[in-house]
Amino acid sequence: MARSTLGKLTDRGLIALSELADYASAFGNPSLRLGVTGLSRSGKTVFITALVHNLLHGGRLPLFDPQAEQRIIRAYLEPQPDDAVPRFAYEDHVEALIGKDRHWPESTRRMSQLRLTVEFLPRGQLARRLGRNRLHIDIVDYPGEWLLDLPLLDLSYEAWSAEMIAASRRPTTSAHAGEWHALLTARDPQSPADEPLAVKSADAFRRFLIACRDDQVALSFLPPGRFLMPGDLEGSPLLTFAPLDVPSEGTPPKGSYWAMMARRYDAYVRHVVRPFFREHFSRLDRQIVLMDALAALNAGAEAVSDLGRALTDVLLAFRHGRANPLASMFGRRIDRIMIAATKADYLHHTSHDRLEAIASRLVQKATEHAAFAGADVEVTALAAIRATREAEILEDGERLPCIVGVPQAGERLGNEYFDGEREAAIFPGDLPDNPDDALAGAVEGQVRFIRFRPPMIDASRWDLGPSFPHIRLDRTLNFLLSDFLA
Amino acid sequence: MSRDDTAPPRPVRQPRVFTAPPPPPPPPPPSEQPEVLRHLAGRRKGIRWGALFLSSVGGLITMAIGYSAYRFVEDLFARQDWLGWLAFSLAVLAGVAAISIILREIWGLSRLAKMGEIRTIAERAIRQDSASDAASTVGSLRSLYSGRRDMAQALTSFAEYDREIMDPRDRVKLAERMLMSELDRDAAGLIARSARRISILTAVTPAAVLDVLFVGAQNLVMLRGLATLYGARPHLLGTIKLTRMVVTHLAVTGSIAFSDTVLQHIIGRGIAGRISARLGEGAVNGIMTARIGLAAMDVVRPLPFETLRRPSLSSIAGRIGDVAGTPDEDGPEQSQDATPHGTQPQGPAAGALVERDASRIP
Repeated sequence: MARSTLGKLTDRGLIALSELADYASAFGNPSLRLGVTGLSRSGKTVFITALVHNLLHGGRLPLFDPQAEQRIIRAYLEPQPDDAVPRFAYEDHVEALIGKDRHWPESTRRMSQLRLTVEFLPRGQLARRLGRNRLHIDIVDYPGEWLLDLPLLDLSYEAWSAEMIAASRRPTTSAHAGEWHALLTARDPQSPADEPLAVKSADAFRRFLIACRDDQVALSFLPPGRFLMPGDLEGSPLLTFAPLDVPSEGTPPKGSYWAMMARRYDAYVRHVVRPFFREHFSRLDRQIVLMDALAALNAGAEAVSDLGRALTDVLLAFRHGRANPLASMFGRRIDRIMIAATKADYLHHTSHDRLEAIASRLVQKATEHAAFAGADVEVTALAAIRATREAEILEDGERLPCIVGVPQAGERLGNEYFDGEREAAIFPGDLPDNPDDALAGAVEGQVRFIRFRPPMIDASRWDLGPSFPHIRLDRTLNFLLSDFLA
Repeated sequence: MSRDDTAPPRPVRQPRVFTAPPPPPPPPPPSEQPEVLRHLAGRRKGIRWGALFLSSVGGLITMAIGYSAYRFVEDLFARQDWLGWLAFSLAVLAGVAAISIILREIWGLSRLAKMGEIRTIAERAIRQDSASDAASTVGSLRSLYSGRRDMAQALTSFAEYDREIMDPRDRVKLAERMLMSELDRDAAGLIARSARRISILTAVTPAAVLDVLFVGAQNLVMLRGLATLYGARPHLLGTIKLTRMVVTHLAVTGSIAFSDTVLQHIIGRGIAGRISARLGEGAVNGIMTARIGLAAMDVVRPLPFETLRRPSLSSIAGRIGDVAGTPDEDGPEQSQDATPHGTQPQGPAAGALVERDASRIP
């Protein structure tokens, strides 16, 4: 695939140039690009909001070393550095979380960016003398669906088609694919190009993807992300293509339907995926991978392994490895990766170890790859904003570790429906000791994780600290940021 | 299990909710293999003849003293009643005092042993990330320092964080940062002051014999001060035991600690020695004291150094010359190295507290 290799080389060149420019302009006060990676609804927006809020307000972060050593002087939001990208709507998200009708922020529909600056006192005498005392943290928020595009960088149209069609014929998904499958067989790929059919087929394909996502069964098998969340590409000709039943190693005859589809796929990769990767993912220093393993466990074994597969594919697209100060002038590498199983407040802390085991099992292949390249990998059970508290409830002489909070309106447990107002203690069930059991479906029907509303923030309770409560956010920040603040 | 921070205020209608999920299997018992405490393992078994000999001789001597005292009191009773009563009450007083001394010594020794035990458990908690070990470490630390006014604030702010959900390993590390940092600072100040005193006095005392006596006494005072600071309160036997532990520790780690700073101290001694032989000796004695003090810190500190940095020999050596104003050549530049670590600001004031604490106990 000569064209893809050439494209990659051009990419690396462009990346290296912009890196060099960045390096020169930021000399002395480095910036850190934090990659918040996660599929849709994994909690990216909430994580970013909680991180910024805690740093801005000096939240309770006892395990975040620079804060515990009282070396952080202040933190503030800088004006948006990149004029082409909208600013992360931090204030709106905070308002959503603590406002009158407190609710989680809406799911992200387009890309946004934020620059947080932390002024601190360096540990070393030399750094103090040199006046190195500011760190810019650049964070990007984007719809999680787009992340699924990254594996497409390495796939040809034919290989992608074959994978897509195989996935759509699985028993869990084929129910939604009837309309599209009919169009698939309507025409021979070798025949001349047919524009109306292409549009129709792309439409049917998109409806299939959306049905799959809404069903929460197979939300993550390499679909083009813009089909699900078009952003500013709504109705663009770039999105009029669909997989065809073609041999995965073949070459299309000139002028054929197949050739047209392949060309559009390539255009999508070149004009949508590659710039997205180049501008936002190729230059990360640190990465946090958020995964909502609990929702997948709710949905069953198929969803769990699906989540693992998707995240592994995505992670393999990043450049991991030991950071090298000289080489980083031309291109950075991610040298620390935090794998975070989010929404850990939906279960009791005694189960966090098991949740961590499941999370690390899911992306094991990718983390082994990264660790081999020299990156540090840690796994944690995280709740960027903690919505519940814990309690033990005596039931038939047994002490059940429960969580107490306000379940979201419309949540259901057995015959019990929640109205989003009353508090309830919930025992969500036990996670298996062996993470492989979770992948094998041993917990299906035995666990049920209820979604809770954001916590009520009581400003009169000084002892709760000046920011959102959390679980292990400080540890996560320490792993990701502390050596930049040394 | 965790103590819940806000006891559920309305547990009334909750059962209906949580009975809805299928009955879960009971949580499996934690599979933690108990590990034998290292300092208790490998004890010698069998009859210890030397100990037997010493204790029997000691018993004989005690009996002889008791018997002669008894005879003496009896004699006095035979002579004059009031003399007898006086002697009798004196003897009772002596007995009570002896018993309380013995109890105190036993208590001091057990406190000293407890420090090592806490440290072993804390190390295990960090290594194995085990919740029960972390809980036991935190509990021991709390009971160790609960009676101390100077630790009250640190304990309160630690208790605030202790309710949060965090990993056992992080909990021990947090305890170290919040409880040990002030103590470490005081300890470094105490060591530096002892070292300074020794180097000055070595430089000005006329006779070598006095030197030896003074250095020995001052080192013992320092050891006791350090142990008191960290919560062990050794008395006579405790101090002897502590000295033995420190010497052993020095013998084991000495070569390592020595090699990293040997060059600059030999050079420093050379320059000081050129000015005056006595000054050079003073510098060497001071540095030796600092090393003993640092080794003692390792022995009496109830937590291992994990998040905080161990004070380095050079930072303390730098402070020897710092305030005393002895013309040590290596003083000024090293003291600049030492200041940024933030050990200075409260050094002397907090150190005064230590000395007061140490002197309160006879």
